[in-house]
Amino acid sequence: MTPLVKPRGLFIGLTLLCLLATWLSLALGPVSLPLFDTLRAALRLLGVPLAPYGLEQAELILGQIRLPRTLLGLAVGGVLALSGVAMQGLFRNPLADPGLVGVSSGAALGAAIAIVGGAVFGDVPEGFAPYLLSVCAFLGGLGVTALVYRLGRRNGQTHVATMLLAGIALTALAGSAVGLFTYLADDATLRTLTFWNLGSLNGASYARLWPLLIISAGVALWLPRRAKALNALLLGESEAGHLGIDVERLKRELVFCTALGVGAAVAAAGMIGFVGLVVPHLVRLLAGPDHRVLLPASVLAGGSLLLLADLVARLALAPAELPIGIVTAFIGAPFFLYLLLRGRA
Amino acid sequence: MRLSTRIAALCVGWLFSHPAVAADLPQRWVSAGGALSEWVSALGGEAKLVGVDTTSQHPQSLKALPSIGYQRSLSAEGILSLRPDILIGTEEMGPPPVLAQVKAARVRVELFSAQADLPTLAQNLIHLGQLLGAEAQAKQLLQTYQQQLDAQQARVAQAQTAQKAPGVLLLLGHAGGKPLIAGKDTAADWLLQQAGGRNLATHSGYKPFSVESLASLDPEVLVFADRALSGEAAKTALFKENPILNSSRAAKAGRVMQLDPTLLVGGLGPRLPAALKTLTDGFYPAKGGQ
Repeated sequence: MTPLVKPRGLFIGLTLLCLLATWLSLALGPVSLPLFDTLRAALRLLGVPLAPYGLEQAELILGQIRLPRTLLGLAVGGVLALSGVAMQGLFRNPLADPGLVGVSSGAALGAAIAIVGGAVFGDVPEGFAPYLLSVCAFLGGLGVTALVYRLGRRNGQTHVATMLLAGIALTALAGSAVGLFTYLADDATLRTLTFWNLGSLNGASYARLWPLLIISAGVALWLPRRAKALNALLLGESEAGHLGIDVERLKRELVFCTALGVGAAVAAAGMIGFVGLVVPHLVRLLAGPDHRVLLPASVLAGGSLLLLADLVARLALAPAELPIGIVTAFIGAPFFLYLLLRGRA
Repeated sequence: MRLSTRIAALCVGWLFSHPAVAADLPQRWVSAGGALSEWVSALGGEAKLVGVDTTSQHPQSLKALPSIGYQRSLSAEGILSLRPDILIGTEEMGPPPVLAQVKAARVRVELFSAQADLPTLAQNLIHLGQLLGAEAQAKQLLQTYQQQLDAQQARVAQAQTAQKAPGVLLLLGHAGGKPLIAGKDTAADWLLQQAGGRNLATHSGYKPFSVESLASLDPEVLVFADRALSGEAAKTALFKENPILNSSRAAKAGRVMQLDPTLLVGGLGPRLPAALKTLTDGFYPAKGGQ
């Protein structure tokens, strides 16, 4: 298949799109700020010494609400899309998404334990309470993924097919455990759980943001270095091995990066579906299957898509807000159907 | 300290030492709690409300106000776009980071308890009265409320001298399908008790129930609250979806009562005494033309 766009053009286009989405995400919101104020406040946030006169509200909204939210959207979208590429490469299956190795369901389980358990047992140390949910979700994701990986290993080899089935089984198991917690939850905790499952970039704060930013930057820098190996893996495992790729190590890295990245993203923003599945396809349609292009381009595209979806989420019903999971799935599901009907998937 | 600063400080001190002047009171209100919005309206503050959450359904006129979404998933910027002076809500309001952002924007955030008892209500009402500049009205309302509840208790006590407390189940449903049964530690349980009913359910919280155990409990009175339908349509749907209910004592005797589900959210509201009276009247029907 010849790519529709040359890599150079793609990168220029995606970078522009990403900048545009970032700007829109900073400039638009339920509170309408004069464009000039937004510009000045943005420049001040960047450290340009301008007179703060009349900028109090703009600075507060930009600095404390929109900027952390925008960064969160970029990081979550980017890392989810990147993990999607990694998983589709690992399983050599275009239907694969980051949830396949159990990281999402594990995180959901961790969150359910934190939300319901926290309500039942109470008494979490004061300073730790706000982070309990994120930490539990992150650890749940890592834990279940580690288990899936362990189950897929036999005689020092990782069997991708076994891993896939183990992932399905553990996802079902985690799902039923979440169901049990849902049953045990009282009305109030139930609603918290439901909203967490829908995902949201709402209420982003720097304290929650930093761990995610560091992890996603790490993943985004590391995975593209393995692009050639992923390309070789497209030929098949033994073929990749003959080309001098340490396939076992590659698989381990892919699973580890996905677990870290998706775990951190889910911990910070809840479950956000379809970005990890759809964005890699979108980029592949445009630029072909070369991972050297696909990996970095997916980061840009994922971040942009999530920011635009978030914009819909917070403007559509303002002053109320839609959970972003609804918007991404609403865009993602029809696109996915379109792919299926084209016979590509 | 310079003289002008001192004078300024004095002036500020003098301002604050005065009892709340009308100008100091918050003028633009956003309420994230059904019962709270009702009380604000009852205290004559409806005109000050500029936004409410989705649980604020009464009085009907509140539905015309901008909706800030569900009380647990508020959005900071959405609230700020209404330029409020104050945001009120119960401990259910959240998420916490959003409240912190709203506070950072110098909007006053006032938390009220949603606990269903009189002392809490008294506290809430007095507090609301102060914030609205309607303290006398708040006291008046509270007194009336207290009297109504006292009268209610007297009514129940009076009725119980002649009749035994009936066994009741409260079903909470959505268009009739798969109703949840209200158990212990719920607002519904408290409501049934206040109305003089005996809640037959022994579990805690709202739980789905098997139809069989429903039949075996055989309540004398069924109370149902439907979130989607109201009136006769809700009743029809309930019995159509759960035909087993038809065989209960309550259904045969026609003792099936409806309750507005919004009464079950967010603490004691102003419509409660009237609802309790209706329930009690249903629980203890007047015998043969007394």
